[in-house]
Amino acid sequence: MSETVEQVQNLIQQRYKAGFFTDIEADKVRAGLDEEIIAMISAKKNEPAWMLEWRLKAFHHWQTMKTPNWALLKVPAIDFQAIHYYAAPKQKNRPKSLDEVDPKLLETFDKLGVPLHERARLAGVAVDAVFDSVSVGTTFQKELKEAGVIFCSFSEAVQEHPELVQEYLGSVVPYTDNYFAALNSAVFSDGSFVYIPEGTRCPMELSTYFRINARDTGQFERTLIIAEPGAEVSYLEGCTAPMRDENQLHAAVVELVARKKAKIKYSTVQNWYPGDENGKGGIYNFVTKRGDCREDDARISWTQVETGSAITWKYPSCILRGDRSAGEFYSVALTHNHQQADTGTKMIHLGKDTTSKIISKGISAGKSNNTYRGLVRIAKRAENARNYTQCDSLLIGKTCGAHTFPYIESANATAKIEHEATTSRIGEDQLFYCRSRGLDEEDAVAMIVDGFCKEVFKELPMEFAVEAKALLEISLEGAVG
Amino acid sequence: MSALIDQLAPESGLPDDSHAEVRRRAQARLMSQGFPDPKTEAWKYTSLRVLEKREFQGIGQQAVPRCALPFAADVLAFDNGQYNPDASTLPDGVRLEPLDAQSLETLDYAGREDAFAWLNLARFEQAWKLSIDAPLARPLVLAFATSDDFSGAVHPRLHIELAANASATLVEWQHGQGEGLVNLVEQIHLNPNARLHHLVQRQHGELAWVQRTDVSIERDADYRFHALDGGGRLVRQDLRLDLLQAGAHGEIDGVALLDSRQHVDYHTAINHQVGHTTSRESFRMMADGTGVGVFNGRIYIARGADDSHSDLNTGNLLLSDSARINTKPELEIYAEDVTASHGATIGQLEDSALFYLRTRGIPTQEAMALLKFGFAAEPLENIENDTLRDWLMVLLNEHLGSF
Repeated sequence: MSETVEQVQNLIQQRYKAGFFTDIEADKVRAGLDEEIIAMISAKKNEPAWMLEWRLKAFHHWQTMKTPNWALLKVPAIDFQAIHYYAAPKQKNRPKSLDEVDPKLLETFDKLGVPLHERARLAGVAVDAVFDSVSVGTTFQKELKEAGVIFCSFSEAVQEHPELVQEYLGSVVPYTDNYFAALNSAVFSDGSFVYIPEGTRCPMELSTYFRINARDTGQFERTLIIAEPGAEVSYLEGCTAPMRDENQLHAAVVELVARKKAKIKYSTVQNWYPGDENGKGGIYNFVTKRGDCREDDARISWTQVETGSAITWKYPSCILRGDRSAGEFYSVALTHNHQQADTGTKMIHLGKDTTSKIISKGISAGKSNNTYRGLVRIAKRAENARNYTQCDSLLIGKTCGAHTFPYIESANATAKIEHEATTSRIGEDQLFYCRSRGLDEEDAVAMIVDGFCKEVFKELPMEFAVEAKALLEISLEGAVG
Repeated sequence: MSALIDQLAPESGLPDDSHAEVRRRAQARLMSQGFPDPKTEAWKYTSLRVLEKREFQGIGQQAVPRCALPFAADVLAFDNGQYNPDASTLPDGVRLEPLDAQSLETLDYAGREDAFAWLNLARFEQAWKLSIDAPLARPLVLAFATSDDFSGAVHPRLHIELAANASATLVEWQHGQGEGLVNLVEQIHLNPNARLHHLVQRQHGELAWVQRTDVSIERDADYRFHALDGGGRLVRQDLRLDLLQAGAHGEIDGVALLDSRQHVDYHTAINHQVGHTTSRESFRMMADGTGVGVFNGRIYIARGADDSHSDLNTGNLLLSDSARINTKPELEIYAEDVTASHGATIGQLEDSALFYLRTRGIPTQEAMALLKFGFAAEPLENIENDTLRDWLMVLLNEHLGSF
């Protein structure tokens, strides 16, 4: 066994494969955060007055707030005045089509395996690529338009569909929600906007790829997905950043609105730079993601594979407001070296006959700490609500930690809630069994870890399942086949 | 919250005795931290409003109820928080002495969650050390009772030490009347190879009861806790087990039954400080009327505490739409070669089980009582002593009759 541990530990020190830097001229605002900077960001994006007003309100609220300290995380003090809140690759004008996009940018996304160009056609996934603070291109615009689907950068949406943005922005995550949501609301620079009209099933999967490139910047994107009654969409999100010694901040907000009988499936493969084996550098990932099943029979499903970031603070949640609405959360969180993750979900049952399911798999290696933190709340009028939660943690090595903090609150006597959690290392008996069948130790570990995560992987769309598996291979090569 | 400070811990009035220095330090800590508020994680679901509204006065003149137990036992009576030697018998092998100042000097209660432990340290009226030096033949009962006209705030403190190889069954019989506050702190230490079976049978009316029980367990010692908790207006029980040396074993089993105007909050922590230690916990809560049940069960396994094993499960029955259950099982694991698990459920009586019993000719009310009993009795079933188990089962049955 000790040999295996050694092997695994050697392998988890694999290099971060998305760690390159693209040398591209960037348009950066000065570092610091004040009203002037916010006005500057708003002006650069040519935003209407109400948008700037909203940002400033958020900023003023943020100034009254304190950094949250309840998570099981050691977060070094962040100097919010040292961050550049806006950085964009220099382009003369916004490109009209992908052909006009700087080839260097396209090359970056190509290198990351994100098909923006011809390959997109083969993959059949519409992609919005966000480079530092702005969206650089969205594929398949025409096909989506035909279906009535709006998929564009957030800045474009503010220009082209202000009424939708104004109606829904902050309706799921108000700027008063938490410290990082308030910060994001004040300075967010871009992100993706999705609108699926009534009764429409989005003809292809939508995807956003986030890339932090510039130094000393933070990325603050905002995603808003609206599914009108009977609409359906599957949305994928991926992220990477170059390897750097200093830490960079990523504070995103994602809002989902599902109306009557609408379905939204949101999948994330998060692979921000995690820092080196000594814990130097890496992204601080403080993200607020929340879905609102606003009307009856709505359904929201979150799937996440979290392998990156030095610090992850993220709780994709569902507000089950409509009767018979359903929320799901599937998560694999892997931490190694000095990574810290405090992640989980909240399922707030408000409507009758609402159901939720939580499957969380945590893998800790190296000197990392991996925490599941979840809340299941059954409100008084949520008759017959049902929740099932399963949280499993796998420990690899003697210096890591795995923690589980589920909050379960019930105020309705017809609700049923089940929660299970286990923590263990890879069992010697399991290893022995596999080896007695002729597998070497490495393959045996691979098989066991793969099996451990399978329930979550099978929820991912095909393209992402492949990427997720590959990512675990990088992080735990030899542990995943 | 400052009203509570003024009521319970006024700047003046600290007893000037041989513990004065310890008291002064504890008071300073309490003042700097304050009492918990709704933002204090460990008191998130338990409000102190009930206490704020109370005016604490005298400890009362009336007689306290005496325990009548269906088994032979030695009783130590604590009436309105004070030891009453006239109503007590000390068996051989047991000593009860005032606690020396030294034992209090190294105590430390971290954080705001422990405000009541600091309050106790600053204000205790009496502090006793109970030493159990040899195996005891029959149960030792600690009878805590308050009288009908009790409206004071008392802070009893009891340190219990079991010598190496000693063994005992300790029954805490707690029946509080009146509208005061009892803020009890117990420190229990088990020396190597000692065995302690600790039963708590609690039934308070309007009384507010805050209790901290810290248990430290040395090599091959064995601690078992059983509670049959009938609740009270405000009951808060902190129970912490520290498994300090290899072979230490701890178990917690309990059931709390809540009805209207009752609030019961159990915060348990099992800390595996070293490897080769084992523990398990099973806790059930049943809430009817406007009862509120809170359960927070933590399992902590320290770095390097390999070969530690722990399992916790908590089941909850919510019987009324005005009742509430908040439960939080926690795992905090820093060692690799361990197994730790927890499970939690909240639900109601199964319709199918009820239907089954009714098809067998059992009337609905009786069938429901049977199912409730089956649910609530489970944590008490593993009590090894038949007499004690039967005693609690009878009490449970009586209690459920009133549900």
